[in-house]
Amino acid sequence: MAEIKDFRFELLMDAGNGAQKAGDILVKTFAKAGVYVFIEPIIPAEISPPKRTPHSLSGAVIRVSSDEISNIGSYSQFVLVEHEILLDRRCDDLEFDKDAVILMDFGNERRAKEAYENVSKRVLDAGLNLVPFSINDDSEAIIKELNGNGKNMYYLGLLSYFFTVDTSIVEIIIRETFKKLPAEKLEKNINLFHNGYSYASSLKQDRYEFPSLIDESEKVLLDGNTAMSLGIIDSGFKLFAGYPITPASTIMHNLARLLPAYGGTLHQAEDEISAIGTVIGSYFSGVPAITATSGPGLSLKQEFIGLSVSAEIPCVVINVQRGGPSTGLPTRTEQTDLFSAAFGSHGDSPKVVISVANVEDCFYVPHVARYIAEKCRLPVIILSDYMTSSSYRVLDKLTLNKMDDIETIQDFVLDRFFMKRLPDTIEMVKGNQDTPGQTGGMRRVTGLNTNEDGFVEYSSVSNQRSHEIRNQKVHHVKDALLEPESFGSQDGDILIVGWGSTRSVIEESVQKLSEKGLSVGGCHLKIVYPLAPMLKEVFSRYKFVVSIEVAYGDSMKYTPFATLLRSETLVDVRGLIAQATGRPLKPVQVVEKVESFLKENVNA
Amino acid sequence: MPEEKKALSMKDLKSSDPRWCTGCGDYTILVGLRKFMVNNQLERENTVNVSGIGCSGRIPHYMNTYGIHSLHGRSVPVALGIVLARPDLNVFVHSGDGDSLSIGGNHLMHGIKKNFNCVYLLFDNQIYGLTKNQTSPTTRKGLPTQSQPSGSMLEPINPIHFALGLGASFIASTADWLGTHFVDTLDKAFKHNGFSFVHVAQRCPKFNPAAWDFQESSWITFLTDETHGVANDAKGAPDAKVLAHNPLDFDEAMKKANGVPDIFGVFYKEDKAVYNDLLIQQNDSVEQKSRDSLLDSFII
Ligand SMILES: Cc1ncc(C[n+]2csc(CCOP(=O)(O)OP(=O)(O)O)c2C)c(N)n1
Ligand code: SF4
Ligand SMILES: [Mg+2]
Repeated sequence: MAEIKDFRFELLMDAGNGAQKAGDILVKTFAKAGVYVFIEPIIPAEISPPKRTPHSLSGAVIRVSSDEISNIGSYSQFVLVEHEILLDRRCDDLEFDKDAVILMDFGNERRAKEAYENVSKRVLDAGLNLVPFSINDDSEAIIKELNGNGKNMYYLGLLSYFFTVDTSIVEIIIRETFKKLPAEKLEKNINLFHNGYSYASSLKQDRYEFPSLIDESEKVLLDGNTAMSLGIIDSGFKLFAGYPITPASTIMHNLARLLPAYGGTLHQAEDEISAIGTVIGSYFSGVPAITATSGPGLSLKQEFIGLSVSAEIPCVVINVQRGGPSTGLPTRTEQTDLFSAAFGSHGDSPKVVISVANVEDCFYVPHVARYIAEKCRLPVIILSDYMTSSSYRVLDKLTLNKMDDIETIQDFVLDRFFMKRLPDTIEMVKGNQDTPGQTGGMRRVTGLNTNEDGFVEYSSVSNQRSHEIRNQKVHHVKDALLEPESFGSQDGDILIVGWGSTRSVIEESVQKLSEKGLSVGGCHLKIVYPLAPMLKEVFSRYKFVVSIEVAYGDSMKYTPFATLLRSETLVDVRGLIAQATGRPLKPVQVVEKVESFLKENVNA
Repeated sequence: MPEEKKALSMKDLKSSDPRWCTGCGDYTILVGLRKFMVNNQLERENTVNVSGIGCSGRIPHYMNTYGIHSLHGRSVPVALGIVLARPDLNVFVHSGDGDSLSIGGNHLMHGIKKNFNCVYLLFDNQIYGLTKNQTSPTTRKGLPTQSQPSGSMLEPINPIHFALGLGASFIASTADWLGTHFVDTLDKAFKHNGFSFVHVAQRCPKFNPAAWDFQESSWITFLTDETHGVANDAKGAPDAKVLAHNPLDFDEAMKKANGVPDIFGVFYKEDKAVYNDLLIQQNDSVEQKSRDSLLDSFII
């Protein structure tokens, strides 16, 4: 039995066959044993694509480690796959370790002999270890009785055997997960699980064992969007207005169940424009409100974002980035909405953009966004991404802030985003910022330019004044930014810079490169607009500064973040990794790229 | 003894000076709105005028209440945000024919469906005013405009049929120059619980003077009903015809609406669930929790 510290595996099944359910159960089992887990679900863009087609690829990639982790790692070392078509499709993603063990269900081999042969050859030629298995006859009979369901429980049994988990715990979690099933069906599922477990030993393959941690602290299992939803409640928002769009919808789903219990209201709008309009109406009336969307919805909201700037009505927009342009890749990850967030809406519309690095950040970002939005009375855009929104993590139980008015935001929350408190008073274009109901405060807000008294004014002096004050608000935020988080060497040959969900990839690759004796530093930004003022100085301590981004770039086009950093610092920042494949970046990829870059440019 | 509150007067409702063309119907709408507020002694601080963009969109600037002059076509979502946040406020929405039925058609449709509590005024000058004379959704077929110089090509939308078809709970039509009829209609609309849709024939002497012949009244028909309707405005329209109509009768309302735009009065009225009330009821039925327990169900 091999003891394992850090391991990545995946379970691949046809969509609708319950791979994610089985993955969840296994992950909860690991978590109960004190192991850290990170899961990335693989979800097709369609609801139920035909089974036994490449479009039907669905499943869960799971990384387990004895150390805290917040990325999916590099390659899968172990794969359990339902049939040859899914394996063939998944091989195209280049996500398997060179020594990976691949367990494939050969149950369909008779109907697709040639296809099985071809895929087996593909896998063996790549040097992977293929282990055929099948579902035993008893279990096939049960699956038939369950109308074709339950295969996932058999597979769960196999996985539980190979990962040496305590079957009694798995059983408890299965019972909890399927508590709504009729007892007879539930027992059949449990039988399938045990059948899979005992069958697995006949495969004569190595088992793996994860060391248990003795850590007794309370842990929670959360995905990014759930953490964001809970953060919205903890930070005191009282209205959520939304319109369904992948991958942001689950925030609305969570809040539909949760928000009313905490004194808030969930409103499903007729479109994204309406959702932000309602947020602005609510904020104008003094009630903190928030909306969430993804790429196409962000495009629709841009005009209202400009109204928020001009009328000085706070608003907070969460944008969970997915592949673009247009409908793009709705269930894949990308970091390409940076410009539409920072520079969207027409005219000069200064705003603030905050990104999240991980699930914990999702919980705390609504607090910071609300703090800045209300303090400066401007729009704040939160940038999450598919990867962060849908991946699960086991983490230490989060400390609540229970924010009421914005001054009750706690220092540890601001610290997380590397910022200080803002000045007590920030100048507004309009002197009177009363909300309806306040006697004597009657005022009219508008997208037109106004003077200090709030009256429409077209004079050049007045317009310039308004621009100045609106930009000054963002400058106050810039002044409040501390030096962003850094990793590894504080000076040297190369600095790897990134934002949002690439944080742990930077951290991990810098650590690996430093262990190899290379002079490498890492720098990660959460607040990406405005940029922290000391970046130029930080960058000057390294010979080269490169960015890593899940965004397209090439020799004639800088990636978005590199472009932003270049214009801010006048440093020749280039996208070392500028790739928008829909997949998150891998630490090994960064390690390899940095090594070859240094070989060419420093040690040449 | 607490100081006695001063009665609200027309003067109290003045804000900055209007900038519409001479003879524009928006002036009389503004005056009618103020008169209505004075009649009902509505509190200025608890009143919000919301608008989209257009000549009509300027109304909030000229009313000394709270106000938002929002985006073209987007006044309904903003108004809804105000109503959800503060259901106690009096919310009036002001929107042009283009604002309502073209760019904002989807929002208006859903505002009507949600039946949230506000008074919605559709300022129908049958033209795009602020952008200088383009065909609007209600422009009469044949009228030459800047965008369709050989004559507007399509039949106009009938706003009353639009609202009836969507199930609006209160539908009336009036005209800017009808004085008491306008104010009485506002009154009826305000007292109705839900989304009160008021179509207002509005003069645009600048670009569409032929739309409404306000000096003549023989073309006008008033719908009357003692209990639910609005009194015939003999003063504003001495030669108008009068037609008895029961606004509780949907089929009859559909038929009478064939006479639009030459017919004014309350077309339809119905008690219907109000979205903001439903949300409050729904939220009230949920057991309230303390945030201390927020993460409990996620602990493993
Ligand atoms: C998104 C957007 N598109 C176009 C415009 C330009 N625009 C301003 S008002 C208007 C039409 C106004 O017509 P209507 O709604 O009938 O109002 P009126 O001026 O006649 O009162 C248009 C097209 C705008 N402000 N915003
Ligand atoms: S253009 Fe027409 S609607 Fe606009 S202000 Fe002039 S008269 Fe009134
Ligand atoms: Mg018009």
